[in-house]
Order: sequence, then structure tokens, then C-alpha cells
Amino acid sequence: MIAKRKLSADSGDLHVSWVPEREASSGVAASVRSVSKHFKKTTVLEDISFDVSEGESLVLLGASGSGKTTILRIIAGLEQPDNGYVILHGQDVTDLPARERGVGVIFQSYALFPRMTVEKNIAYGLKIRRSPRKERRETVDRLIKLVQLEQHRKKYPWQLSGGQQQRVAIARTLAYQPQVLLFDEPFGALDAQTRVHLRREIRALLRQVKVPSVFITHDQEEALELGDRIAVLNEGKLEQIGTPDEVYNHPATEYVATFLGAANLLLGVATNGFVEIGTARLPAEKETQRFRDGQSVKLVFRPEDVCISQDANLPEGCRRLANGVIEEVNFVGAYQRLTVRLDLTHRKGDTDALYEVTINTPQRMTGVPIIATRPKPDANATRYKAGDRVAIGLTSFSVLPNYTLVRQR
Amino acid sequence: MKIRSIRHVRGFDVARPISIGMMLGIMLPLVLLPLLSIFIYGFGNGFRAFVSSLIAPEAVFALKLSLSTSLWATVFNVLFGLFAAYVLSRYDFWGRNAVIVTISLPTAIPTAVAGFALLLLWGKYGMIGRLFSENQQIMFTPYAIILANIFVTFPLAFGVIKPVFDTMSRSLEEASATIGATRWQTFWYVTLPSLRGAIVSGALLTFARAVGEFGSTILVSGNLAGRTQTAPLYIFAKFNEGQIEAANAIAIVLALLSFVIFSVLFFARDWLEFETQEA
Repeated sequence: MIAKRKLSADSGDLHVSWVPEREASSGVAASVRSVSKHFKKTTVLEDISFDVSEGESLVLLGASGSGKTTILRIIAGLEQPDNGYVILHGQDVTDLPARERGVGVIFQSYALFPRMTVEKNIAYGLKIRRSPRKERRETVDRLIKLVQLEQHRKKYPWQLSGGQQQRVAIARTLAYQPQVLLFDEPFGALDAQTRVHLRREIRALLRQVKVPSVFITHDQEEALELGDRIAVLNEGKLEQIGTPDEVYNHPATEYVATFLGAANLLLGVATNGFVEIGTARLPAEKETQRFRDGQSVKLVFRPEDVCISQDANLPEGCRRLANGVIEEVNFVGAYQRLTVRLDLTHRKGDTDALYEVTINTPQRMTGVPIIATRPKPDANATRYKAGDRVAIGLTSFSVLPNYTLVRQR
Repeated sequence: MKIRSIRHVRGFDVARPISIGMMLGIMLPLVLLPLLSIFIYGFGNGFRAFVSSLIAPEAVFALKLSLSTSLWATVFNVLFGLFAAYVLSRYDFWGRNAVIVTISLPTAIPTAVAGFALLLLWGKYGMIGRLFSENQQIMFTPYAIILANIFVTFPLAFGVIKPVFDTMSRSLEEASATIGATRWQTFWYVTLPSLRGAIVSGALLTFARAVGEFGSTILVSGNLAGRTQTAPLYIFAKFNEGQIEAANAIAIVLALLSFVIFSVLFFARDWLEFETQEA
């Protein structure tokens, strides 16, 4: 079916040429609908649903064992779900074998055929479809040019670097015009520098070919850079799906907040448009709207959202949280990292001694430590040292329900 | 001054020539001289005598029979070995390990026992043999020799091919499937090329072993000169008749044949390793 769609050989480009009108207009290239999967008695995936739009790149982000690889294998047809559907361009493919789905998988090991040259690897999909020799050659020529491997076309996979092998793997799938590209930990086997370089390359390449793609990774930096949207998975459950901005700046759960970058976490209570944390009251009209008064909440904020001032005047747009003492100042390359201990004593009558942290130092410091980072210009403008008293504010934060506390009570 | 070690004398490692000498000394009467003696005695009466005993009709027949029966056994065992290795490494089923052990069993069974067992089963009064009519009996025909060769060399090709299957990355076949290949196409274009080396060495091992098979063949073939007498049986028969020259000529051919096969195996190792490096 997909094989029959003709690549416009003369146009010389791959731009959306094989996405038929109907499919392009519906906008959804692939859907996973309430998919569940168990291996023996362990639940690997629990009721997972998401869509991948036409031309979009979606990143499935999760720790190892979160089930992300299983989702990918289910979309590809290499694994069968216990429940749920996989829909590709409006067609239910749940019961189709892998070879009839027209999905391109770029395996972590690239899985290039060792006995075939670069050319033959790329031509494989066309060869098994018995497409005419001329068409085969033209497609291979175009793809080799697209992935910039012209000088390597006669080489065998083991003669190529990791990045080159990956490009061959991509070209090999593009040759048969896949409905969706699936990348399984595409940069896992590469060193840190090559990784950064390659993911920009792939991003650029995908923009060119406009094939919807799903990436799998455990690397949050990679996820933020590669994904138009990110789906965060935790123990087989979808925690949140959204744009990088959404998942990073407005994490829906504590897991998302802590998995994507560093996050500070304070326990508090929502009251009258404020989040009360011990004696501190943080104005949060909008953020607390969905909570009833007195509901126990978690305040989550990123180190870079913390503003620090030596007097009471915090910069514009910064909401005051509490006072604190600088405990430690570290220089960590691109920015400065401060540990600040907030003076948060719990209020009278509050039975949950949430903030009585006592540390065995000569000063017997109590309070809650938080981490703040400052860019270099700020760090150079005002220098802090351990022991300085400062006012602490937040430019941005999220308020999440505190389920754990509810459960404990 | 006490000499603590004789190993090094002024930078010269004495242990080296001593060890090499010892090794060759032990090998000499056990392996090297017996092989050499075949050639020395074989050409003792001149090259012409050697040739004439070689082209004796019975000798030619014995050689041809050995080669053809071994060839058929090899073809069968390589194909079956491939199939069995595929099934046993791709599918998990109850009793799989028992099957793997059973396949390997013929290596450990004395060949005379193997021949005897075949006779019991396929012989005139055997469980299978009794199904054939009097003049269709398989035992004491060339087919019996093939059967014996298959039995004895059964595990060889399988034993070489199976580990390659086991270590082969599943993702290659999965990649082929996602690209759109059928199982058969995947096997033909992806799996089989990776097995090339294993198939070649498995076939050579099987063939070499089958050509030399004696114990089981002598039981099932009947050892009829010009009809079911293979080369090793011919050597034995001529030796018993006191025709040392005739036996020797064939012995030389068999020795050379195995020498060639093992040289190929040995020198093909570079090629085979190149294969695994790719995979």
C-alpha cells in the first residue's frame, strides 16, 4: 500500500510528497489509543493514549523501565498490546504485522545489514518491493545525497562512524516512505559531543522530509531539544504530554518536575489565593484557583526561577517567598549555584512539623534548603557569600496537589 | 651465587626452544610419523605402483561411493542443521533443552553402537525396516551408508550454526521486518548471509567426518566390494587380505582429502572472522 505511492522522482525533493491529501488534512499521523501491556505479572504500560500530528516530532521521555521502548515496539508492530489500538493515518493497524505497517524504525544499534553496502542497505526496502531498478537507483541517489554520504556509498556499515551509520539507517527507512519514523534511543551509543551535533542534524533533516517521528530517550536535554512535544512516562503511565515549554515550566506532576531538570519542592497549604508555607505566604491567585482553601499542596519551582535580593526590593515580576541565609555558593561553569536556607518556621497550631529541619552545624541552622542558580552577569554584579541574609522571590512556579500527604493522613 | 632460574640466560629465553622441542617430540610418534609413514610406504614401490593400485576398479568405486554418500549426508545435515538451529533459537517451547541435548548426542555415541542401532531399526525385522518389502530393503545398500553418515555427523553442522543464530542480533531481523520484508525475504537476504561462514565450516566438518566414517558403515553396509564398500572399508578389507599397497593408496587419498579440508577451514578462518567482525 505505502509502497505503491510514488515518490515524485523528478521533483528531486522529499517534501510531503508522499502524504496524501486526506491524511494531511486530518492532521493526525499516528495515534496510540488506551494501550496496555503486561509481561507476565508486571504491568509495563497502563492505558497509554497520545497522538502524533503530521510532521510533528514527539519525544517519549522516561527512565529505563518506564515502558517507553515497549510503546515504540507496539507502534512498530514488533510487540502486541494486551489492550488498545494503534492507528496510523486513520487506519487501525493493531493486528497488522510489522512489515505491513510502513513504519520506519531506527534501532539503537542502527541494525544495518552487515553484508550490504551503504547503497544496498538503503535500497533494501525497494528491492523487497521489487520496484524497478531505475526507480531504485534514483531514490538511493537522492537519499544518499540527503544524508550526505556520497563518498561512502560503497562502504560497509562497519567502516562507518556511529553518526554515519545512523544516517544510513534513516535513509534506509526513508526509501520506502514510512508513515512515521520511530527512533529508539538514537544517541545512546554515541559520545556526548557527537550527540549534540547529531541531534541538531537529525532535527534539520526531519524538518526537510517532514515525516512525523517519535523519539525515545531518557535524556531530558535531548527531549527538550528534539521534541515539538514531550510525553513523560513513569512506570508505564503517561505523566504529562505537552510542548517542551509546558512540561518544563508547568509540570503537571512532581515526577515531571524532578525528571525534567532540577526542581525545588516545598510543601504548603492553599489559602485565599496564597500558598502558605509555614510562616511564609506566597501570592498565587491564578495557580491556586483549582484548589480549595486549606488543601495541602506542593510548591514546585526551578532553581533559575529564584530571585535573590539583599534588601526587601525584589525585581519586577518576582513574588516574594521568604527570607533566607546563603549557605553555600558554587561556581558550576555556565552559571552560579547557591544553596539558600529559608527561614520557614511552622505556624502555631500547625501539627505537621514539615519544616523543622535541624542540621548539625555549630550554628544549629534550621529551615528549608533550596537551590537557586544565577546567570553569570547577575553573579558578577552582586556577589554573595555564605552567611549573607537575603530576600527570596520566585518568578515562576507550579502548585501541585499533595496526594502523598492525603494518603498519609 | 645460587641459580634461581634457568629460564633466562643473558636475555635468551631457554624455555622457548625446550618447550617447542618437547611439544614436537611428543607429537612426532603420535601424529606426525604415522601420517608420514603412509606416504613413505605408499610411494615405496614407486609412483607407478601407487597409481595402478589407485585406479583399480574396486578402489575407484570405493572412493566414489564414499564421496557421494558423504555429500548427500552433508547436504541433508547442513539443511537440517540450519532449520533446527533456526527453530531452536527462535522459538521457546517446553523441552527445548532436551531436544538440544539429543541433537548433540550422536557425538558421544560409539559409531559401532550407532550402526547397530540403525540395523535394529531399519533392518529386515526392525520397526521401520519391516514396512519395506524384501527387495526394497535399505540396509546393506548405499542408502544405509548415507543413513549412517547422517546419524554420525548429525550434530556437527548444527553445532557450528546454532551459536551464530544465538548471538545474531534480533534487531537485524526486526529491522528487515519493519522495512517490509516477509519472513522468507528476511531469512534469505539478512539471516542467511550472516550464516555463510558457519554453513561453510559446518559443511566441511560434516563432509570430512562422513568420508572417514568406519564403525557404523561397516555394520550397515555389509562391506560388499564394488557395491557397498566405502573407502575406509576398502582400506580395512585390503589390509586384511594382505594387499598393503592397495590399502595404502586409498589411505593416501583420504589423508590428503582431510588435509585439504582442514587447511581450507584453517585458512578460511580469517574470512570467517571478517564475517563476525561485520556482524
